[in-house]
Amino acid sequence: MPAPPPIANQIRRLRFEHGEMTQADLAQRIGMTRQTVAAIEAGKYSPSLEAAFRISRVFGTTVEAVFQWEE
Amino acid sequence: MSFREKSAWITLVSVLVCFGVYFGSILGGAVRPRGIETVHLFLLCAIALVLLQIGLHAVAARLDPHEARAPRDEREWLIQHRSHTVGYYVLMVMVLLLGAPAHFGHPVPDLLNFALLDVVIAALAVSVAQIVMFRRGA
Repeated sequence: MPAPPPIANQIRRLRFEHGEMTQADLAQRIGMTRQTVAAIEAGKYSPSLEAAFRISRVFGTTVEAVFQWEE
Repeated sequence: MSFREKSAWITLVSVLVCFGVYFGSILGGAVRPRGIETVHLFLLCAIALVLLQIGLHAVAARLDPHEARAPRDEREWLIQHRSHTVGYYVLMVMVLLLGAPAHFGHPVPDLLNFALLDVVIAALAVSVAQIVMFRRGA
């Protein structure tokens, strides 16, 4: 299995800043399972561009504010 | 554990149990490998597999009805595609290995059982691959 790309994310912080939103709440709002949100948050799974936009829209911010490419 | 992962476990266990009984009975000498009893046992195991899968999936769906009704998300589709690719390669290798018993002159009923074993091993490979990927995250 290929190593995941070096993409960091701020989902955990953003959830905390948005009323301690749970992974299940976020998952429901973007149409995914809680396990998938957990995998994205842990950096084990890189979401599609569409999912990245959905996540950033839930937090009312840009994709770049949620996901960063780390060299 | 997500509903899809539970589903992979259900498939793994039910295939292992049902076809474990089938091949165990043949290897253990409980049925004649080339007799009509083998066909009856196969039908019995196939029906048991279907019933076991339906029953266990119904229980899993009852435990988490929301997730059971929800369509697969992108990660679950990816895991399904990857696991079926694994199963495809396992099946190809097993089918090529089927040439060995054919070469050594095994009769057709034996070859059919070897072919069935190939399908069962490929199905197990798909389930194991899914479980590993679900456990790893993707």
